[in-house]
Amino acid sequence: MGTIDVVYIFDEHNTLLLSHHYHGSPPSAKVLLNTYLSHSSPRPSVLYVPSTHPPCILCSMVQDRLLFLTPLSHDMDPLIALEFLHRVADALEEFLGSPLLASRIETQYDVVAQLLGEMCDAGIMSVTEPNALRDLVDVGVGLMGKFLGGVGLPRYIPSSLEPQNNLSKMGLLTLFEFSASPSLSSAPGSSLSFKPPGSDTNQLAIPWRRANVRHTSNELYVDIVESVTAILAPSGRPLAARAHGTIVFTAKVSGVPDLILQLTTPGGRMNVAHTMQLPVFHPCVRLARWKEHPGELSFVPPDGRFVLAGYEVDLLGADYLTRAMHDPNYRSDLHLPVSIELNKSLGPDALDFEVKMSLDLSFVKVSSSSSTGLGAGLGRAKSAGLRPSTATSGTSAQPTLEEIVVSVPIPSGVRNFSEMKASRGEATYAPGDGTLEWRIYGKEASMLMNGVHSVSGGVVATLRCSVVGQPNVGEVEEPFAPPKEKWDYDEGGDDAYQAEAGSGKSTGKKSPSDEKLSRIAAKNAELMPSSASVSFQVKGWLPSGIKVEKLAIDMPKSKGIGAGVQPYKGVKYLAVSKGGVEIRC
Amino acid sequence: MESISRISSLLETARDLTLEAARDASAAKKGTARPIPAQKLKALLDSRLERDVLEGLRRLVALTYTSQSISPYFTHALKTLSLPFPTVRKLVAHILIQLAPSHPDTALLAINTLQKSLSDSAPPLRSLALRTMSSIRVPAISQIVLLAIKRGVQDMSPYVRRAAALAIPKAYRLDPALEPELVEGLVRLLGDKQYFVAGAAVQAYAECWADRIDLLHPYYRKLVRQMVDMDEWGQLAFLKVMLGYCRRCFPRRTKRIRKGGAEKKGKGKDPDSFYDDEETREDQDEGDGGEGDFEEAIILDPDLDLLLRAAQPLLHNRSSAVIIAVTSCFLYLGTPTYLELAVGPLIALLRSPQDIQLVALHNIVQVCLIYPKPFVQYASHFLIRLSEPPAIRRSKLELLTLIFPHAPPHIAGLILAELAHFSASQDPTLVQEAVRAIGRCAQTSDEPTSRRCLHLLLDRVSSPDPLVVAESLQVVRQLIQRDPLSHTHTVVRLAKNLDSITNPQARASIIWLVGEFAAPEAEDGMAPDVLRILVRNFADESEQAKRQIVLLAAKVYLHYLNVQNATQKSARETEEDLNGSQKDEAADSDMETRSPPNIPIDESHPIVLLWQYVQLLARYDTSYDLRDRLRVYKSLLAIPTSTDLASLLLLAPKPVPQIPSPSESRRGYAIGSASLVVGDEVAAGGFRGYEPLPEWVREGEQPIATVRGEGGAGRYEVKKEVPASERLDRALEEERGTGRANGWREKTLDDWLAEDEEEEDEESDGSEETEEESSEEETEEESEEDEEDEGTDDESAALRPSA
Repeated sequence: MGTIDVVYIFDEHNTLLLSHHYHGSPPSAKVLLNTYLSHSSPRPSVLYVPSTHPPCILCSMVQDRLLFLTPLSHDMDPLIALEFLHRVADALEEFLGSPLLASRIETQYDVVAQLLGEMCDAGIMSVTEPNALRDLVDVGVGLMGKFLGGVGLPRYIPSSLEPQNNLSKMGLLTLFEFSASPSLSSAPGSSLSFKPPGSDTNQLAIPWRRANVRHTSNELYVDIVESVTAILAPSGRPLAARAHGTIVFTAKVSGVPDLILQLTTPGGRMNVAHTMQLPVFHPCVRLARWKEHPGELSFVPPDGRFVLAGYEVDLLGADYLTRAMHDPNYRSDLHLPVSIELNKSLGPDALDFEVKMSLDLSFVKVSSSSSTGLGAGLGRAKSAGLRPSTATSGTSAQPTLEEIVVSVPIPSGVRNFSEMKASRGEATYAPGDGTLEWRIYGKEASMLMNGVHSVSGGVVATLRCSVVGQPNVGEVEEPFAPPKEKWDYDEGGDDAYQAEAGSGKSTGKKSPSDEKLSRIAAKNAELMPSSASVSFQVKGWLPSGIKVEKLAIDMPKSKGIGAGVQPYKGVKYLAVSKGGVEIRC
Repeated sequence: MESISRISSLLETARDLTLEAARDASAAKKGTARPIPAQKLKALLDSRLERDVLEGLRRLVALTYTSQSISPYFTHALKTLSLPFPTVRKLVAHILIQLAPSHPDTALLAINTLQKSLSDSAPPLRSLALRTMSSIRVPAISQIVLLAIKRGVQDMSPYVRRAAALAIPKAYRLDPALEPELVEGLVRLLGDKQYFVAGAAVQAYAECWADRIDLLHPYYRKLVRQMVDMDEWGQLAFLKVMLGYCRRCFPRRTKRIRKGGAEKKGKGKDPDSFYDDEETREDQDEGDGGEGDFEEAIILDPDLDLLLRAAQPLLHNRSSAVIIAVTSCFLYLGTPTYLELAVGPLIALLRSPQDIQLVALHNIVQVCLIYPKPFVQYASHFLIRLSEPPAIRRSKLELLTLIFPHAPPHIAGLILAELAHFSASQDPTLVQEAVRAIGRCAQTSDEPTSRRCLHLLLDRVSSPDPLVVAESLQVVRQLIQRDPLSHTHTVVRLAKNLDSITNPQARASIIWLVGEFAAPEAEDGMAPDVLRILVRNFADESEQAKRQIVLLAAKVYLHYLNVQNATQKSARETEEDLNGSQKDEAADSDMETRSPPNIPIDESHPIVLLWQYVQLLARYDTSYDLRDRLRVYKSLLAIPTSTDLASLLLLAPKPVPQIPSPSESRRGYAIGSASLVVGDEVAAGGFRGYEPLPEWVREGEQPIATVRGEGGAGRYEVKKEVPASERLDRALEEERGTGRANGWREKTLDDWLAEDEEEEDEESDGSEETEEESSEEETEEESEEDEEDEGTDDESAALRPSA
């Protein structure tokens, strides 16, 4: 299958943070880094490095501005190496805290060393599941422990010498302690485990859940994040629009809970399978159950935070393309909270372009208030203690739009902008940077939103820019004027394009001034942007309309939870677009 | 699936700010990790307090990572192993593993302590000790490591057994002479009931002995059932191993079925499959009837089908590598029906982070080259975003062109619109790729669509961007060359563009096209007229264009001469016929070759005049290259009646250019390999260590099916209900089978001996696999039947009279 020889991690200044050597004699970090940097950004994740002896293939991954590198000395699937690097990053983040910072790694090399040692054994990938690693890795005690406590990480005190013999007895003990004196342990959210794995049993428990989890405050959170990607044709019609959904689950429940998460869509529960396409699941999810009852996720969660499932939703509907082809006036039911329009080649010299932004959240509200799924969900939620986890803003009853960024890639011919006028927000452009960013922050956005309600979805903000091209561009004359003579070889318009050619001729006859103008426009067209993308964030709304209908603990199947324990449950919806909505022109 | 850290960055909006804040804070915190003097560090390590020792070790670990020498502290660190603090050991283990290769002698000091903790009561410590000991790369201790592994293999705790499995490759690397003993241990671990252990054993197997398929036979079915529970690395190793194993064990059988008839799959479940097999054989015996309504269908061995079915749930896995591995199994082992299941999950990989997306796309292209059809419905996933890196855009463009010929009109329309849009973009490389993609679409599709593509390209010819024009003409030229006859009008239309196009390269290209495809019509054609017009502005043309004009003139003149000669010759022949002169053949041919130039050419013909004019123009041109070229043409065409050599040089048929899909060059590489991704950069044969897929084993050369026993009851063993009557029938059949002399069809004495040895090996391993002996005596047909219902294996064995 191939081996991982070494893992190099560099910080954002490309200085070596650590190198963990596993196997063989890999090329040095310096050589690999130089090769990596010699490629222009964006750098491919898999590179062939012929300069090392013997040549190698370099796999790279960037996470939180840290650069992870691993060279392959023999042929293997680069995806294995890349997945491994992602797992390393995930594990480091789980143990050191998010975001991953160079300083955090530097101060906790001992934890990092244990993690990397457990994750790969002499080149063979081993334990990468964060929960299993929790059982194996000692996060420091003493000085380090104090430091960690201060940062607010879950403290974990292993003491493997403590004799423990029986799982069920242990469970009972935990339970008793919990119900008797809930104030026993320190801060809420911290978990204590008194037993290393497998010390008493030769049978494995659940590979993704660490043993003997105990929490004082039992909590369950579901965060559904959908990131919107859409491509809009110059005419404004969508070509493709999808939402990539991720269900992030946070389980802080004692014992071994067996959970059921019931999802629903506006089209009813039966529609879930149709809406959520191409799902992938965490290994804990029971696939058979999902296949039998789509929308029902039954699982024993790992402890802590993890990605439960991923899916995608086609926001246009399956037969959109066919319909759009047959009926040019067909409107999709795609609603985006922010839509922009890009007009270019404006002004006397065709050097201006204009971006118009319109906001529309009305559909968000309409759909959420009319949706029975949510109403029912909320109703049940109240009785079961299900409350939206963000109490202040961005609930599903009152979705909020935050921070809108329009970025316009600027062609390389543009030297600078002579004018940038934004009616709202601020526009920035650094020459050489290549993109113009127009940013409207949360407060302003919400102000705009309020304005929208009265105008009902009109244009709320515009940005007008004038570009400055290369100085010599204007002066260059046509080097060679072609002969003006026309001739005609047409032998009957039997070909489609022959006929087209004939019609093209009439447009060629323009007045000289017109022609000059259009020539300038054509020349300056190179300076006009050809696309723009929008980033935004809406809290409390999902473009797919998926809702959490029910989240319950299957008590008979679960172990180690007290009879009366009702965990605190929270659901959060978030729609984001990270430059995902692209408008072409 | 998106990794958790990426998603959490979405959830936490204030993350960027945190980054900054934390950086400021880190400057202050660094003070705590300030290096301390060596003496103090040693004192910490020698302390008897757990806290101090830990602190010292922590500093040592930090030093190993900041690549400073810590060898002076090595012995101090090893000494702490004897302290009764388990927490210490993990850190020491790290230091030991990192330093052992460079300080073998010092590392040996730790062996004793490690050996002691091999018998510790806590399994994690036992496994840690085993892991550490096997990681010390000092050949002298190979025997001790071997002993430790042997003990670990029989340990009660799965953690220790797993550590033993992972230690096996390390020991093998240390001392290959240990192979027999290590293999023995590995075989035992492969049969482990814990998927957790078996997965690691498969990883070890894949690492060292991937070619010894004989080790796997007894555990094949058990491992297939355990696969779904293994961790992703175990699954990856297993699928990779299976790719080779199945191709060596299951010959490709095909069967002719009626077209349109539902393909038979899932044979293991089919009660009639026994008879099906016979039918197959009959079908094959029939020979090739060559009827049109039959097609070849692949028949899967039941054991192979078992694997493929077990792999299906893995398609929901979150690891992209697993999905690619399953796809490669379906692609290289299974049927198209299976592969279609993998298409959706492959597309789902496009949701992953960009680094994974890029590799996934390479693999998707590779699958799409073989089976483009199932990807058509996902066409909108391949639409290009300008924010994507060029490598991703390139792969997506290629995918669009690959599915284009199979797409229904509305998707084809979308693809063409997409390509047309990007062929007018500002990014030069994107334009180039888009235009070429249009060319590939035109090449593979039917007449009307192809014409549409050409139309698109011709529109681009009049674009102001010289690059677009040049690239489009290049592709147009290739398309015309493929089928010159149907494109005469295209050449005419291109020629008309000559009065508006200014780009020298484009002009040169068009002139060449005119000379190549319009000139043969000689006097009636438009080539002479184009030449006439071009010559008027000869002085203003670029050198590139001038060269082509001279060439065009030469071609036109040559065609004219050829026509003249032909008419004269035929005239002469008729003359001779009329004279009725009976000259012999030789003289006739002599006359032809010599062709006395006694017939003068018409000096006043426009084409002759044009040629002379061009000669004059070029002769006084400033470019010596042009003058040289003219001299060559001039001498070639010096004798008007002898044009053979000139025709050979100027009118030679040009090879038809192919526009292959860019990834055709890497078609030979298997999916899921690094060679596929880096492609052309490495030498032929792929990157070091690339192994091409093994060929399918030929019918009759495969190991007999009965070697794959149950290999220990798996967790998911399914007992199938078999009616008693059927069981009885089978028992009778078996009896007959054993009675038949020489039941084995193709089996040499060597095979027998080999089998016996293998069995003995396994028995000595103490594996549960004993019913093999009895089943060996069955005929092959019966054994196949047995595989089909694995559950009945035991019963039938029980019912059978003892041999």
